[in-house]
Amino acid sequence: MTHTQKRIITNKIVMFLSTLSALVGISFLLWILSILVINGIDALSMTIFTNGGAPPGNENGGLKHALIGQLMLFAYASLFGVPLGILAGTYLSEYGLKSKLAETIRDISDIMMSAPSIVIGAFVYAIVVAPSGQFSGWAGSIALMIIMLPIILRTTDDMLQLVPSTLREAAFALGAPKYKVIIQVVYRGAKAGVLTGVLLGVARVAGETAPLLFTSFNDNFLNTDMSQPMASLTVTMYNYATSPYEDWQKLGWAAAFILSMFILTLNILGRLFLLKKRGK
Amino acid sequence: MATIVDIATEKALEVKNFEFTYAGADEPNIKKLTMPIAKHSITALIGPSGCGKTTLLRSFNRMHDLYPGNKYGGEILFKDRNILGSKEDLIKLRTQIGMIFQKPTAFPMSIFDNVAYGLRLQGLKNKTELQDRVEKALQDAAIWQEAKDRLRHDANGLSGGQQQRLCIARAIAVEPEVLLFDEPTSALDPISTAGIEELVVELRKRVSIIIVTHNMQQAARVSDYTGFMYLGELVELGRTEELFVTPKEKLTEEYITGKFG
Repeated sequence: MTHTQKRIITNKIVMFLSTLSALVGISFLLWILSILVINGIDALSMTIFTNGGAPPGNENGGLKHALIGQLMLFAYASLFGVPLGILAGTYLSEYGLKSKLAETIRDISDIMMSAPSIVIGAFVYAIVVAPSGQFSGWAGSIALMIIMLPIILRTTDDMLQLVPSTLREAAFALGAPKYKVIIQVVYRGAKAGVLTGVLLGVARVAGETAPLLFTSFNDNFLNTDMSQPMASLTVTMYNYATSPYEDWQKLGWAAAFILSMFILTLNILGRLFLLKKRGK
Repeated sequence: MATIVDIATEKALEVKNFEFTYAGADEPNIKKLTMPIAKHSITALIGPSGCGKTTLLRSFNRMHDLYPGNKYGGEILFKDRNILGSKEDLIKLRTQIGMIFQKPTAFPMSIFDNVAYGLRLQGLKNKTELQDRVEKALQDAAIWQEAKDRLRHDANGLSGGQQQRLCIARAIAVEPEVLLFDEPTSALDPISTAGIEELVVELRKRVSIIIVTHNMQQAARVSDYTGFMYLGELVELGRTEELFVTPKEKLTEEYITGKFG
């Protein structure tokens, strides 16, 4: 066998192996998605959106309580987490630069990003739930906020740093004060990237279950009082899916389907923004 | 000591015993530099990489202040005051001394908004006046013909040469007295370069210009005075036609004849 033939064969083997691996990975993903779609669509109905939780055996059970609870937990977490993350990222990129404080914050954020979310749940349990004596929607939102914060902070930091420093200098050279340079030039240049970070950050927390178990706990009925335990899609899904009742299991599938579609949409939107940015 | 030609006209700037030290450097990167800058003329700064010409240029509008730890010494006089003082109003200074960068720096906004940026910063809100001044700046920067039908379009859609002229329009819109050019054509093709050079010569009537360039032919083509810098010091400042033909300093002669650099 000549050297060239050897190379061609090696090439083919490597290509075969990598294609095979990719197919295996994708097939699992498609498998999960298809089961989710088949069972989820089957379980979907209008009553799911209009009715709250019901005891097993009751035909009229729905997910309204979990949907509204999830949205509230998620909205309050984003309401505080998104601006906090963007402002903190702005500090790192525009004011902190390479200072010790900024580098320390970056390192801590990186560690927090990979911290298991259940640890953050336990932390919020210790500082909010235990002192106040009860599970609450606020505790759940705080846990979600802590999880999204480092993601938004780091992407904002990275995206703002991608804006060329000469662009900042050019704005300064026209006599712009620093806050105007940041708002009018740097944010504008990094708009798509920052938005992507925000979407990925909020998508990440939308599927969290573990930290909510410790904080907002659950409620089988509609509750909009943030100081009380609150239902969420994820915890409801966990409870219903592990229950022995068939109608609850069905609702669990519906919850899984709705949640997955929501997260998928956020991710696709995030990627679209990134594509638009690259295309420019 | 450096050989410095007498400048007959008024001076736009006067550098006196100027020193500059970058953050973390042990000794000054520019040492005891003294140099007059003539008004309504073009002064070119040449010299090998690292000689301090861009560092000097960025001192005129205190660009170094954007990064912590840099130190100035000596004086740079502008309108009879030392602009290196700690109480200097940098925002005002930078509207009087504008800057054009090596790479075009069009902001991510429309062509109109780019040129209006500096005017709006100064509080100009009147729409018709804004319109007039943007149009005039674009005309003065010789880009009106290409830009007039797409004023609302994203400025990043322009070519490199057009963007650089847009940046010049943006800088002259606020009517500065001095314009600093930091190798403004090094990222451009020869035709765009010729266009920018023509424009720089034209602008001399209204502003005093300092231009840093790696290209000695460019310095010879456009400037009235040329300063040759080496290792953080000014070696020679002369009238351009004299400096390139009969340099007074041996080092200058060696540099312009290509013996080093």
